[in-house]
Amino acid sequence: MDEDILQDFLAEAQDLLEQLNEQLVDLEQVPDDIELLNAIFRAFHTIKGGAGFIGIKPLVEVCHRAENVFDKIRNSEMTYTPEVADIILQVYDTITDMINRLQEGEREFEDVDPDLLARLDALVKGGSATPSESTESSSASDTTMSETAAVAEVPLELPEDWDPDDDITDEEFELLLQMREQKLAAGEVGADDDNKALAEVPLELPEGWDPDEDITDEEFEQLLQMREEKLSQVESAAESDGADHVEPEPAPAETGTSSQPAAVAEHSQIRQVNEEPAMPADKTKAAEPKAESTAPAAKSESTVRVDTKRLDEIMNLVGELVLVRNRLLTLRNGQEVDLEEISNAVSNLDHVTTDLQAAVMKTRMQPVKKVFGRFPRVVRDLARKLGKQIELELRGEDTDLDKNLVEALADPLVHLVRNSVDHGIEPPEERIKAGKPPVGHIILAAEQEGDHILLSITDDGRGMDPEKLKRKAIEKGLIDEMTAAQMSDKEAFELIMAPGFSTAETISDISGRGVGMDVVKSMITRLNGSIEIDSVQGQGTQIKIRVPLTLAILPTLMVAFGEDSYSIPLTSVQEIFDYNPDETNRIDGQMMVQLRERSIPLYFLQEWLAPDIEPQPEGNEAERDKVVIVNVGGQRVGLVVQQVKGQEEVVIKPLGVMLQKVAGYAGATITGNGSIALILDLPGVLQRYNQMH
Amino acid sequence: MEVTEAMQNEPYLTPAEAAEEEAIGPMQRCVLFNLDRETYGIDVSNIREVLRVGRIRKVPGADPRLLGVINVRGVIVTVADMRRMIDVPVSDLTHESRIIIVELEEDCPVGLLVDRVQEVRDIPEKRIEPLGSSQEDNSRYIQGIAHYRDQVIILVDVPSLFES
Repeated sequence: MDEDILQDFLAEAQDLLEQLNEQLVDLEQVPDDIELLNAIFRAFHTIKGGAGFIGIKPLVEVCHRAENVFDKIRNSEMTYTPEVADIILQVYDTITDMINRLQEGEREFEDVDPDLLARLDALVKGGSATPSESTESSSASDTTMSETAAVAEVPLELPEDWDPDDDITDEEFELLLQMREQKLAAGEVGADDDNKALAEVPLELPEGWDPDEDITDEEFEQLLQMREEKLSQVESAAESDGADHVEPEPAPAETGTSSQPAAVAEHSQIRQVNEEPAMPADKTKAAEPKAESTAPAAKSESTVRVDTKRLDEIMNLVGELVLVRNRLLTLRNGQEVDLEEISNAVSNLDHVTTDLQAAVMKTRMQPVKKVFGRFPRVVRDLARKLGKQIELELRGEDTDLDKNLVEALADPLVHLVRNSVDHGIEPPEERIKAGKPPVGHIILAAEQEGDHILLSITDDGRGMDPEKLKRKAIEKGLIDEMTAAQMSDKEAFELIMAPGFSTAETISDISGRGVGMDVVKSMITRLNGSIEIDSVQGQGTQIKIRVPLTLAILPTLMVAFGEDSYSIPLTSVQEIFDYNPDETNRIDGQMMVQLRERSIPLYFLQEWLAPDIEPQPEGNEAERDKVVIVNVGGQRVGLVVQQVKGQEEVVIKPLGVMLQKVAGYAGATITGNGSIALILDLPGVLQRYNQMH
Repeated sequence: MEVTEAMQNEPYLTPAEAAEEEAIGPMQRCVLFNLDRETYGIDVSNIREVLRVGRIRKVPGADPRLLGVINVRGVIVTVADMRRMIDVPVSDLTHESRIIIVELEEDCPVGLLVDRVQEVRDIPEKRIEPLGSSQEDNSRYIQGIAHYRDQVIILVDVPSLFES
């Protein structure tokens, strides 16, 4: 199996699956949306094609059946009911599972659960309105079946001088196709009439075709359509769906990016109302764990799709950069020093670099849709299971943020949304009693706020009772009565993020076992973000998450010991003041400083970071050591440093593999003067410091 | 690999010598360097470049064999002291000290501080004696010993240098 082709297939399949996840849930709201149906049909069709080409027969089989179901639906021979949806979602999970396993390196696949296949077949057979139509469509499906089966069975034979490491050229590809068709025509694999017909239909290229150029998705799609059209003529079965094939359709791969079909755009506000009572448990159980498995899969993806326009922009800027370099080189070789020329060149260099940096950063940006896309499904499944009616609204899906962040945010958000569904929104009866509409509403929104992204999850559920939270925290020994009495409502809400706190009366397997919110909080903190909770009892809860636009650039406070600089993430820094030994005292072996009637432990970083540097002479105020008060996971500590140099935005660079195990560093960066500063990882620093004492 | 002055003084071969070389069979192309009075060699395919020693930033708390990190055109590269790696007594830096940047695996560069870099030389594989399998642990990094043109060259296997 050729790796390049496989990787291309995987990338495409993952894109399609991501869209399918949304489209399938959308479809439940508008079951007769023909554009949406076509898009879904094409997605299954494309995956089937790819799977056939790389020879994964179970995948072909399951996709093929799904395709048949959607073919019937779009021909109005059956409707997409929630029951059909359950089966199709199960198909979706099966396909996702196989694609993930392919990605992880598995190459052999067992047959798909025959029960699922049987149910799909039953859908296709039972869905037709009249007997005559039934025979017609089933014979049609049979022909396609044998076609795909044959496709899967014809092994691709590679030419002798084939180099697996090389990209396949157009000629080679053409040749392979020909060889394959010849075989088919020769009946080597027991080709029936259909296959002969298949082989006899030549691929006609559209006018204006440039053989030297790469084929675009649209062109490929067009070719496929032309071919199908021909086939249907050959079969002289001018069925109603022929019209669909002729209709020029945009390539499915495009739908996710820029040119969304109108239908999908219309539904960018995803409405998902669940009117059905909870379905039989066995079915949900089958679907549930597989839905979970889609989450980690997104992480292993290591490619980014970049708009070619952005690449052109970068190319352009690099061209500029080369020009500047040439100019500087000429200046260096010149006889006289022309300061003005040099200064011009340098300011030009300054511009180009700034633009280039921004342009490269943009290539890492991805729409938040990548994360949001999975939520309609998460909410649908959960609401069905809990017997709740919930409408999920997504806002600001096109907000861009760093690729790493998109991935890192997925888990915390899933947790928060599940919390809203499970704890926030009440069951319909309770809502009606409280005078609310029976359908609960959850809004998941993203927007850019300066150099931050604000994500919010808002529900109109039962809200939180600050007094109840306080009582619970006291019971669990997290706070004492005094603290509780002084707490504001907002502080009380934050209690739910304290380790060991869980609001659920009974532990449900949906929102976890009270390990949830504190984990969410630490995940967000790790991204240098913050989390804020607002709630009005009886009216709902809003959780706001703020994260920086990118993980690559970090605002820091530069401190130094002698020549060596260290950066402390600015989000943790609270205040800075001069170190005065007279204001410290030793409590239980630990040096403490008094700050507004609170004792804060002091950590003398010099002992660890720069043991061979002379301590500063006392007296001169400007040269006194400084205390930097930082907040590390809710605990305030004072770091004693020799100098505070000021704020600096730094680009985080990883330390090599051999240094990654050393606790206390989050990475390194290169400062303005070209030297290296180490970025401190505060939890690691404290842990390390405590071990030393 | 960047060409440095040390690598350009490839020894001049008479046609007769060149012919002899050809008859000798496959060669292993190595960068030769010194530690103390010994000569060592590393296969060029492992080497990315050779740099003069600039400022090395210490990383407090790291393995003592690691000197710190340097900035190689925007990439942070860890530098190990070759002397400490193979238990040769430590010495001071000189103007001849160099950092050889080797590629442990793809995109994983590591610098090795050595006393002096000599040249790039082709060593006939026939002249390389592999060490027996009964090696002690602290000499596991030795891939073999070559006797060639009056020199004894210890060939270093970079990956096993960093194992464990």
